Amino acid sequence: MSILLEARGLDKKFGRVVALDNVSVSLRRREILAIVGESGSGKTTLLNTLAGRIRPDGGDVFYDGGAGLRPLSALGELGLRQLQRARWGFVQQDPRAALRLDITAGGNIGERLMASGARHYGDIREAAAAWLAEVEIDPSRIDDLPKHFSGGMLQRLQIAATLVTGPELVFMDEPTGGLDVSVQARILDLIRGLVRRLGLAVVIVTHDIGVARLLADRLVVMQSGRIVEAGLTDQVLDDPHHEYTQLLVASVLPA
Amino acid sequence: MIGYNFAYLDEQTKRMIRRAILKAVAIPGHQIPFASREMPLPYGWGTGGIQVTAAILGADDVLKVIDQGADDTTNAVSIRGFFARTAGVRTTTHTAEASIIQTRHRIPEFLLRADQIIVYQVPQPEPLYKLEPSRAAAKKRHALADYGEMHVKLYEDITRFGRVAVAYDHPVMVNERYLTSPSPIPAFDNPKMHKMPALQLFGAGREQRIYAIPPFTAVRSLDFEDYPFHPGRAPESCALCGADNSYLDEIVIDDRGGRMFACSDTDFCESRRGETP
Repeated sequence: MSILLEARGLDKKFGRVVALDNVSVSLRRREILAIVGESGSGKTTLLNTLAGRIRPDGGDVFYDGGAGLRPLSALGELGLRQLQRARWGFVQQDPRAALRLDITAGGNIGERLMASGARHYGDIREAAAAWLAEVEIDPSRIDDLPKHFSGGMLQRLQIAATLVTGPELVFMDEPTGGLDVSVQARILDLIRGLVRRLGLAVVIVTHDIGVARLLADRLVVMQSGRIVEAGLTDQVLDDPHHEYTQLLVASVLPA
Repeated sequence: MIGYNFAYLDEQTKRMIRRAILKAVAIPGHQIPFASREMPLPYGWGTGGIQVTAAILGADDVLKVIDQGADDTTNAVSIRGFFARTAGVRTTTHTAEASIIQTRHRIPEFLLRADQIIVYQVPQPEPLYKLEPSRAAAKKRHALADYGEMHVKLYEDITRFGRVAVAYDHPVMVNERYLTSPSPIPAFDNPKMHKMPALQLFGAGREQRIYAIPPFTAVRSLDFEDYPFHPGRAPESCALCGADNSYLDEIVIDDRGGRMFACSDTDFCESRRGETP
């Protein structure tokens, strides 16, 4: 499988705080990469940089949109926006921040379609209904406002609103954070099913080793803005080399 | 006009406004910032329109001012009186006689000609302001022609009301490039902007913006392919002149629920009835 996204030598500082220190990472097509680490280790900064939401101080992110790896910085602002809203997706931890709560579920799903140029009301609505069913929300709720939805439903709605444009690469920032355990399990199940069936490449940030083990093909472990260990998920988790990874794996409660 | 410069504003100010107008005409639909002056009327009463009119007014121009289509409301009478006094120009209520028409919230029913200029009073020049509260971000969207999300509002309207419920200030694409506010004219008037022979100038005093639609420029109202733009109109005829193709005002005439519909364009209505004052 060819490389879809690659970061080379990323540096990022917020004032004197080093968030990324010479980070290089790559993602192949249809691969799921998890970024794990404790709070403040730079994993969300890395995700946002990969997704083109933050410009790094040094290094660059390269993306293969069909014509070989090209740096994001060469895309221009409009090119990056088009990429982000059609071929990429971003699932945030808090769906309330990503969705428009005063606009119907159908409108929320249709927003990315309309932003990418869809101008046929009937088609947009049909796509919205199909995606509601896909994420196991009753399509009859298409005209309901998301503010009446539960946390788990909101997260599923956000996933539908992200995947509606058929992206090939999705970034996820703790998609199951803030949900209770039984809902978490269903969302993870849903994500796993969709990702495999649609052949998506995913970069997922999590502090939950269980999530990484369940979803990810490969794993990078971050500490203080550096990648301290990287490899296949099972390999890293079953035989951690770096002491910080050992600590992470050891701190998971036995099932 | 003793005690005033011609048309109230000093020459340097008029020159600054003319520069903004020239720039606006060169980039149809694009908002040009200008140093809006304090005018002797409150914001929201047409300070933008009055400055544009002052800057383009010449001694032999004939001025018409309408407010919601009417020539006889306070706002229209005052602005007409203002220019009659400070510029000594001839004023009229007849659309066909005027060379400059300053308007608040309507386009006259009579078709405008290439030798006329229409000046709109604009309260909010930014069509994206409900979608994008940040002016910097809105400017970026204009620069990138990134307007897709404007359709979310239309989608919501069709979903909730079965049709687009924007009755006025329905956003338009000018020259297929800039999304533009037509000022709060009824959606009924939007089609008149398309390829209008007259020059259309827009002045927003409080917001300090001028923009323009040059003659014969394409103006398209936003819509969906399967829900085309529909200029709304009350399904009645004018009770005074009988017109069934003009924009109507609904007027309450007693306290027992009685009401009548009459043309909002008073000049159009009067000329149809043969009353020419």
